[in-house]
Parts: sequence; C-alpha cells; structure tokens
Amino acid sequence: MDLKVRELLKEVTLDYSPTLSKHVNDTVSAIKVAIDKIPDDLKVTADEAPGFVRDIGADKVEFKFKKPTSIEIGGSYAIQCIVKPDINVDLFIRLPKECFHEKDYLNYRYHAKRCLYLSIIKKYLKFSSVKVEWSTLQNEARKPVLLVYPATELVGLPGFFVRIIPTTNSLFTIKKLNLKRSNIRALTHGGIPQATPKYNSSILEDMFLEDTSELIKRTFLGWKELGEASILLKVWARQRSSIYVHDCLNGFLISVILSYLASQNKIANSMRTMQIFRVTLNFIATAKIWNNGLYFRREGQKGIPQEERVSYKEAFPIVICDPSAPFNMSFRISRIGFVQLQDEAALTLKCIEKCRDGGFEEIFMTKVDFAAKYDYCIRLDLKGKSEVHASGFCLDDECWRLYEQKVHSLLNQGLNNRAKLIRVTWRNTLSDCSIENGFSILDREPLLVGVSVSSMENAFRVADIGPNAENKEEALKFRKFWGEKAELRRFKDGTIAESTVWESEHWNRHLILKRIAEYVLLRHLSLSKENIVHIVDQLDFSLLHGVRDPISFSGSLLEALEVLSKHLRLIQDIPLKVSSVQPLDPAFRFTSVFPPEPHPLAIVKGDVPRLQKLMPSCIQPLEVMIQLEGSGNWPMDDIAIEKTKTAFLLKIGESLQNSCGMTCTATEDDVDVFMSGYVFRLKIWHERGLSLLKREDGSDQFKWVSSIDKELFVRSQHSSMINGLQGRYPLYGPVVRIAKRWVASHLFSSCLVEEAVELLVAHLFLQPLPFNAPCSRITGFLRFLRLLSEYDWTFSALVVDINEDLSPKDEKEISNNFMLTRKGYEENKQNGSAAMFLATAYDKASEAWTRFSPNVSELKRLVAYARSSANLLNKLILQDQIDSYKWECLLRTPLNNYDAVILLHRDKLPYPQRLLFPSELNQGKHVAQGNASKVFQPFMSPGDFKGSLEELKNKLLVNFDPLRFFVGDLEKEFSNMFKVWYDSLGGDAIGITWDRFSSKKRGREEGEDPVDVLKSVGQFGKGFVRSVYSLKSPRLMN
Amino acid sequence: MDLQLKHKKNKKKRQNIDKLQKDEVLNMEVEREKSKPTEKNKRKREKGNDINTGKAVRSNIKDGSINAIRGRKMKESSVKKNRKNEERNTLTGKSEQPSTDAEVAFVDQCGESKKTKRKKKEDDGSSKKGETDQDEVCHLSCGDESCSKGLKGSSKKARMKRKKEHNSSKGAKKSQEKAPEADSDDVYQISSGDEDCSKGMKKWIMEYNQSRPGLKVLEQNIDEFITAHEAKLEQERKEREAQAAEGGWTVVVHHKGRKKTTDVESGTTVGSVAKAVVEDNMKKKKREEVKLDFYRFQRREAQRNEILTLQSKFEEDKKRIQQLRAARKFRPY
Repeated sequence: MDLKVRELLKEVTLDYSPTLSKHVNDTVSAIKVAIDKIPDDLKVTADEAPGFVRDIGADKVEFKFKKPTSIEIGGSYAIQCIVKPDINVDLFIRLPKECFHEKDYLNYRYHAKRCLYLSIIKKYLKFSSVKVEWSTLQNEARKPVLLVYPATELVGLPGFFVRIIPTTNSLFTIKKLNLKRSNIRALTHGGIPQATPKYNSSILEDMFLEDTSELIKRTFLGWKELGEASILLKVWARQRSSIYVHDCLNGFLISVILSYLASQNKIANSMRTMQIFRVTLNFIATAKIWNNGLYFRREGQKGIPQEERVSYKEAFPIVICDPSAPFNMSFRISRIGFVQLQDEAALTLKCIEKCRDGGFEEIFMTKVDFAAKYDYCIRLDLKGKSEVHASGFCLDDECWRLYEQKVHSLLNQGLNNRAKLIRVTWRNTLSDCSIENGFSILDREPLLVGVSVSSMENAFRVADIGPNAENKEEALKFRKFWGEKAELRRFKDGTIAESTVWESEHWNRHLILKRIAEYVLLRHLSLSKENIVHIVDQLDFSLLHGVRDPISFSGSLLEALEVLSKHLRLIQDIPLKVSSVQPLDPAFRFTSVFPPEPHPLAIVKGDVPRLQKLMPSCIQPLEVMIQLEGSGNWPMDDIAIEKTKTAFLLKIGESLQNSCGMTCTATEDDVDVFMSGYVFRLKIWHERGLSLLKREDGSDQFKWVSSIDKELFVRSQHSSMINGLQGRYPLYGPVVRIAKRWVASHLFSSCLVEEAVELLVAHLFLQPLPFNAPCSRITGFLRFLRLLSEYDWTFSALVVDINEDLSPKDEKEISNNFMLTRKGYEENKQNGSAAMFLATAYDKASEAWTRFSPNVSELKRLVAYARSSANLLNKLILQDQIDSYKWECLLRTPLNNYDAVILLHRDKLPYPQRLLFPSELNQGKHVAQGNASKVFQPFMSPGDFKGSLEELKNKLLVNFDPLRFFVGDLEKEFSNMFKVWYDSLGGDAIGITWDRFSSKKRGREEGEDPVDVLKSVGQFGKGFVRSVYSLKSPRLMN
Repeated sequence: MDLQLKHKKNKKKRQNIDKLQKDEVLNMEVEREKSKPTEKNKRKREKGNDINTGKAVRSNIKDGSINAIRGRKMKESSVKKNRKNEERNTLTGKSEQPSTDAEVAFVDQCGESKKTKRKKKEDDGSSKKGETDQDEVCHLSCGDESCSKGLKGSSKKARMKRKKEHNSSKGAKKSQEKAPEADSDDVYQISSGDEDCSKGMKKWIMEYNQSRPGLKVLEQNIDEFITAHEAKLEQERKEREAQAAEGGWTVVVHHKGRKKTTDVESGTTVGSVAKAVVEDNMKKKKREEVKLDFYRFQRREAQRNEILTLQSKFEEDKKRIQQLRAARKFRPY
C-alpha cells in the first residue's frame, strides 16, 4: 500500500523543476505585459459584455479602467499541490478600488464590472496572440474567470493554462454584506426585501480570496505530508464525480479543511501521508462539529460570536469560517451534496478497512462516476427552456442552482423512501462559450439526476400510501402533488387513505421508479417526454421474447420442477430410490438469458393443442440432478458407472411414463422427460465417483481429472450457491442475464462460460466497494464491464466468496494455487491457458469454469471489448440523446474484427426470435455461399399437425442446435488452423481468426489455400451456412 | 469421351443454377466481368449453358412438377394447402432430388442444339440490358432455387416472389440470361446438402434421430453392454485367479452384498475406503516419527531454505512492481 501510494504520488504530482517555474513565470509576465499595454482611464461601458450585463440585471456599470493593483500567483501552484492532469496556475488580479463605487455591492454592479474588467483584459490578451477562454469560478456563471493558454507548450505539460481570478481587497465595508442584508433591490417578497446571503458571500469570497489563500499557504508551506495528503484527497475526490462538483467539494475546500484540521491539532506533524488522509476522511464522515460549523480559531483574535454562528447556520447547511475573513467559505455546499460527501468518505473508510491491500485500487484507481455510482440516472435536456430563468437568471442564487433544488425536491417527494439519495447536478460551463453574450447558452448541457435506491422492496413497491382521508389538509396536498394519479383506496388494515398505484407486471417492476419520476417531472415542470431520458430499460430489448420477458415463466417452471421431484421420489419400481433432486440449469436460478417458455406440446396428456402462430420445433432441456440411495453394488470403473446410471435413468423414465403418463425420450447419454410444457433432462450424481477421484488426486494434487461426477458435483454446488445469492439480491438475475447476453453477442460464447459470468457478477454484489451493491440493471452491467476490463487478471485471483465461508486458511490455499498457475504460466508463455483465476468455496483452484478458457489472447480480446463497451455505455448514460441505435451498438459486434466470417441462414437457427440483429457483410472477399436446407424448420408448420399428441411430441427436437453441431464439427476438423467465435444464444454470425502458429507450419508446408479451407468450412455447414467471407488471410510469415 | 463431356457440362450447368441464386455479389461482379474481354469466349459458353438451364428449369416446371405448379396456383387462394404440399415434398424430397437433376440434364442436352439461335437472342439481351435489374435476379434466384429442388419453398416471401416471377416470365427469361454473366468463378457454391448426409444440417438431423431409438432399444443396448462388460470382468478375474493359483497365492474375492469392514480372522480393517484411511494414518504416524529438525543439518537446511524463499519472494515482488509500473497501474485516470 505504501509503495503504491508513493508510486501514485509520483504519477500525479508535477515536477516543480526550474524549467517549469520558468515557463510559468514567462507566461505570467507575458500576461502582465499584455495588461500593462491597456491604457489607463480607458472608458469601459456595458457594450463590452452586453449580454452578461443584461442577464445579470445590473445598472450603472460604467467605469474607467485602471491597472490592477497587484498580480500574484496563488492556488495550488503556490503550495505545490497541483494534481495531474489538470495543470493550471491561479493568478490573482486585484481589481483597483478606483474602478468601483462605494455602493457597487448593490444589484450585481460589482459582478458586472468584474466581468467587464476581465473582458477588457481578454481583449488585450488576444492582441498578444495567446489563446484566451472564458470559464467560471466553481460553476458560478456570474463570476467568470479567464483561462490563458500560453503560446508555447512545455513538453510533458499538455493543456497547461493560467487561470486569471479577479480579487478585491476591502473594497466594500463588510457590514454591508452581512448575511441578513438584502443587496438586490429587485428581490422582494411582498414588499419586504429578502436577505441575500449567497449573493453577499459571492462578493465576500472575492474580497477574502487572497487572505484565505495566504492562510492555506502558511499551513502548507514546509509540510510535505500535508501537501501529499491534499494531493491524495484530490485524486480521491476527482475519481468521484458526484462529490467533486460545484455544490460539494473542490480543491480549495480540501485545502481549507486540511488547514482547519491542522489548526485544531487533529493532524500532527509526525503523521504520515496516509494517516492524514485517513484522519481527514474520518473527520468528514463522522465529526459532529459539522452540525455547528467549522470556525478557525487563532490566538489573539476573537472568535465569532454565538449569534452570528446561529445566523450562519440558518443560512447555510455547512459553515466553514475564519474570523479574519467573516464569510462562509463553503457557501456553495448544499445539504445533499454534503450528505453525499459524508457517505462517500464513510465508504472509503470501509474500503481501507476491508479491502485487499488497504483498498488502494478501490480508493484511488476506481472511477466512481455518476453512471456507475447511481442506480438510476435521469437526464433532463433543458436546452432553451425559458422556464428555468423565468424570474431572472441571477437572484440571490443563480437560476440553475434553484432549478436543481426544484428538481431535487420534486423527485424527493415523488420517490420518498424508494430512494436513499437523489443527486441533481447541472454543469453549466462550456469551454467555448462566450459569456459576454449572456447566460441563455448555459443550459446546453443536460441536467443529471442520480438516484440511489434504498432497497429493492421499496423501489419495486407497487403502491404508495399517502395521508389518511380524514386528514383533509394533507390529503389535499397529496392530491395537488399527484393530480389524477392519486386515488382513495381502502387497505387491508381497514384504513382508507390517499394513495398512488403503479400497476406493473412482475418482470417490469424496475420501471416503476422511472414511471414515477417521469410522471412527477412532467406534471410539475413544463417538459415534454423527449426532454427526459431515464436510463433504466434501454437494454431490456435484448432479453425480451416478443413483448414479454421470458423470465415471467419462471414461476411455472419452478412449480413444474416441484411436481417432477415429487414424482421422482415416489417412484417405487426401481432398485434404488431417488433421495434428492437438485436443479442444475441456470433457468432455475433466474440467471438464464432465455428461460424456456412452456411448450404447448410438452404436456402430460390432453388434446392436441391448436396450432399457434409460431410454435417452435426445438425445445431446451433443463438439467436436473438426482441422487440415489447409497448402495455397495455400483461397479467400479467409469464406463460401467455411466452405463449403470443410464440404465437407472431409463428405468426411471419408463416408470414415469407408466405411472404419470409423462413422455420420455432418451439417447445413450441423456434421458429427457416432458412435463408441464418443459423438458427436464435427468442426470444421476454418484458420490462414489467423487471419492474415487479424490483418492487419485492424493498422489498428484493438481491433476485435473475430468469426470462426469465431479462436474455434476461442482455444478450442483454452484447452482445452489448462486440460487442463494439470487435470493439475497433480487437484481442479481437481470444483471447476469444482460451480462451473458453481452458476452454471447460479441461471440465470446466459447471463451467465457455462463457460470463464470455468474461468478463475476456475483463478485459485484458481494464486494461492491467502493460502491454499494448495484440496484439497477444498467449500473450492474456497467460495473460488470468495468470489472472485466479493469481487473488485474494476470496478477490477482478473483475470489468469489458467496456465503462468506472462506477461512484464512482457505484463502491461503487459494493464493497458493494461484501462484502455482501463474508460475506455470510464466514458464510456458505460449501455453497460456486459464488467464482468469476464479476461486470459490467449492473450487479453490479455479478448475471448474476458467481452466481451459479464456486463454491469454482471448482474455485480451474480451478485456478490449469490455473496455470499449463500458466507455460507450458511460457516454450513453451521460451525454447522448435518445437514440436506440446507439444502445444497440453495445450488443452489436463489429464483424470486421475477424479474419473470416460465416453467416448463417437466419431461419435455420433453432430460435430465430433470439437473433438481435441480422448480420450482413459488405466487405471482404465472398468465398462461398450456400442454400438453406429443407430438412429443418425452427417452427412447426400446420402440416405437422396430424396424428396424436405422442407423434407430435416425437417431432419436437430436444436440445437440437445446429450451431453447436456446426461449431463442434469445425473444432474437430480445423482446431489447429483457426479459432471459432460464436454466439450460443442465437446469433447468425460466426467469426474465425486464423491461428498464427499453425499457419507457420501448415500454411507453408502444405500450402493450403485459406480460401479452400473456408470452402470446406462451408461444406461442413451445408444447409446452414448462408455465406462465407474472407477478410484477412492468415499471416504466413509470423 | 462424349459421356465425359456431357458430364462436365452437366456439372457446370448445375453450378450455374446455383450461381443464379446470388443477389448481392451479383451487381459487383457484373462490372468486373464486363471489364474482362478475354473471358468473353468462355462467358459465351456459359451463357449458352445458362439459357439452357433457364429453359430446363422452365420446362421442368411445366412437365416435371405439375403438381407443384398447381399447388402454387392454389396458394393464392389458400396458403394452408400449399403448406401441405410442401410438406409432402419435404418428405419425398430426397428421392425427388436426383430425378430432377436428371431431368435438367436431359433438357440441357436438348437445348444444346438450339444453342446458336438462342445465343443471338441472348447477346441482344445483354447489350440492351446493361444493367440487370437486381430485384428481378433476386426473384429469379429464389424461384430457381425452389424449382431445382422440387419446389420446396421455404418462406412465404420466396413463394410470393416466385409468383411474381411466374407472371413476368418474359422479363425473367431475359434477366436469367443476364444473371450468369454477373456470376463470378470465385464464389464457391455450397449446396443445401439435403441430398447427402455426410455433412451439414442433414447429418445433424440424422444423428439426432439416430440417437433416439426409443427406450426399449436403449435399454437393451445397455443390458447387452453390461452383460458383456461383466463377462469381460469375470473372464479377467478368472484369468487372474488362474494365474494366482499357478503362483500359489490365495485370492481375495470381491464379495457381493454387505461390505465387511473387518476381517474375520485377523480383525484388521479391510475394504476400500477404510484402507485409505489406514494408509493416511500410517503416513501421519510416519511423519511424526521422524521430525524434520532432528538433525542439525536438517535445521540448517530449513533455515537456508527459508532465507532462499524469502529472497525469491522479494525478487518476485520487485518484478511484480516493475510490471505494475510498466502497466501504469498507478495512474488513476
């Protein structure tokens, strides 16, 4: 940890070398020269920035330009705490007194003049051919600043700029800017002028900017650890975009808080950097003193009197005050912003305690941005909405901040306890805007709302109970808020109360929150539906069958399983009784992307069902594991055991057929039972098989013997653990399903098995730090992608401790196993299988799921795909407009990333409705093409509907998947020539990448033409392959 | 010789039929083909073949599968009947396939004589129709496909298109002449494979069906296997016994029934599982007997080993840090 922190500091701190300081000094002196060129007594009028003056509502703004009284470097450069990559130097320009009148603190005159002064400077800086841009101080549009980019850029210092911040010193009498005074005449309420605390603070901030920065400088100078701690805090905050914004933390406040702690002796000189970091976070998260406000105390100075403290407390949620600078330095911090900050600090402390390696990764390296942090994101596009600034752009506070508050309070009321935290932020500044022309352009960025869900039960609640009907006043309020959505209802406990009901199918419950938010916003704000983008259901299309989510059949599926297991236990006419029945298929634990729908033909008895529109001719079997009573009569060798098992299964099948009329079909390996619309595939687990294995293992600990029993055992363990997890986190299932769909649709079906995906997602829920466990599909999916792309797979094992039953001893064993595999990997780099080490309680050596795949190159590809998908998703959440096409891109894989592509006949896929996007290719060389076969149709035709139910059942194809057969054939035939990438869920494209090593040997010696190979590939998929394209020839020379 | 030639032609022609079925590649290839005057001769011949094909197909429609035509016509009124028709075709498809081919070949031969005549016409067509109507080709190919396969239309769409084609047979004819020209030699054609079951869909379906002979058969198979297996085991055992008897050793026979955990005579534990436990215990005992730091050299060795492992671990850590640094794992953004 210490080492990592040191390295991190090395990465982010600036090298304060002579060249750097020279560069900075040059730039500053260039600015000074430019300002010196401005003639004194230049008459400045509102024409310099007419829009600004108009929108801010100032009168009497003319003044004569005088040179600034002083120009000084301040900010983080002065205390050497600059954090890459934002490298900028604050330059304080003290505005001369002569430019202002005594009463300029009134009616925004000061702000207007300040801006005009800057625009003059800007004009003259432009003459000296440097790039100058407007920006604002902490997103406060009424206080613009100038960004000056030097003409020459220093190497290794990209994007360096100087920020010109105007300050004033004792320009106005402090008393006039007291919190309770009203300094904007226009702002009255019923004739009584309203106090303008924010406005006053905004002026006071400028007046004391230099003083406070001096104070900070004094504390930081010569205290290396404190400076480093402030850098760490900045890195930490920067990674958390929800707290590093205008109404919460900023670099300046971090320094202020640190100086406060130092002045209170809470940070001692002897402390190390990380200790200071921790103490500070602890202080932020838990200190009671926040309720009273932080007041600096200094010797020889009077503290701030009690009455004043009270008034501060009334005006602002958070107070940080220095007696020598009587204003609230944290006047921008909002209550909710601070709650968020405390929450974040508390989470970080938890990371330090609980996470591996002191939580370094989680604290400093993981991005906790808006999209990943909040469960639901809502984007309001308020471009050109005049409603926002209906009563003027700037009153006491700015209109945008007021609007933020409005949206927040609306959502807060609408969602009440469904949401734990609602965060509304609206960034107004754009880099290329010209503030002279007014504020109307500042609404271009969308307003972002993040909602953290309190608990799934609350969030998925269908009805909200309001006030009792007898409570007229409250009821009226309720009605007013909800409009026609409010109904009077009688509840089970006899009360009659106002309520709102959000009827919704079970699989659509996650949309309730969206509906509420949309309803409330539409009702109370003059928005149209297009202006609201709620990130919640954009990916649901990938899980639907038609209009329904097939997960809704899970209830009937579980019932069917119940019945089946009852029947199985009751079977009498077999030598050994069935002792237990366990589900294996992911459909039983709600993690199957497409749980089967009940098929009308797979019923026990009854009439031949009417032909429905599209009745699939294929049916997915669901594996169920059964265990028999113990017996000593089992044979001893593998083949015989398997045969005996099949014999048992056949008997069981027969018995079921005779006693309950269930249909059975069987092959050498499996026995399928048709029941209640489903097909169950029975497997027998024989515990002796496992013990036989164990004895073999004794000699060679890491020998992997693939055995059916071992596999069954592992699968059943996995199944029951995941099932338990799924019960604890209702959102686990949907996230897994989307993740699986993603993996498959990018043709990774062969690389990452379903169970591995389940474990990866389980990790997100079990060790969510630095977040909380995800409570929405998209957030969970985003975090899955980030996990995949950012986890250090080569050097760390991912331990998924589902039931928290791993002891330190187990963990040691896991890490030993891991080291062993990595050692083997290092010795033999070519044979880099098992690049992903997933350890669980039942599998401590990562042998079950990721032993053979993904290998190193596959993982590399997987990581690259995950990274780009994560970036795209993040962008979609934060910026892009409603565009379903863009969302589809997340699941549409680019086919030009393969060396060759095989397109399949869409109507020969067993489940054509699962195809997301029909693939077409218009590049590369068209090598071959084929016709569709007639022997297989994915849907039954009416002609099939003759004969009895039994005959019809025989026409159902159980687990018939041409894609699987095709890929199997290809792998058998060409395994050393190319690698096949496919989508097991029903894509119509197969990707092929040539194997580099084989081409060296084979391609040259035998001179096999890749085109010929592809032709024969096509031959193997006769009747299924639509066309084969070759994009790249194998690289022969390497 | 003659026969061989014919055979070749036949093959080529069939290829051409298949080629007709292209839609997308077509237009592109048209351009390319046109820019290759050297291939003209060859092309002409191909063209000739193709008209023949076209003719063949058409006549095929007329006389070969009247049934199908009727069905097609009837489809306009009722889709259902047609489906039934298809169904029948599918069932008989396998047997029908070769015959259709033969027919095509036959017509091809007939067409050979009319080649010159048609060639002229076709040249006309090609010069006039510089641009092939892609749509038409498309229709054609669908129709062709279904024709050559005994009219087993797969999708509704194809059937619709076929109908269209039928109505505008003249246009179709022309474009049909055009289509092969657009064809390229390098797009290899894979047949639907419905006629052979060594590869592809047909094979998979067949394997699927073969693997499900019914419960009884399977049961029988397994019984047979088990008896064979047991017989084999029995024989092996007998052999072993015989061998043992020769050597004068007594053989412990694996008894059926309840497992005896203790030997009657000696009272020691036997049986597979308990045996393992005993072995384990024995190992433990052994380990206890000789402690590893009994001798001084052992202790010294252990110490040295420890230091070595620590050193190697240190080295590893150092390497790891280097790797991390190389991977820029410390850069937060």
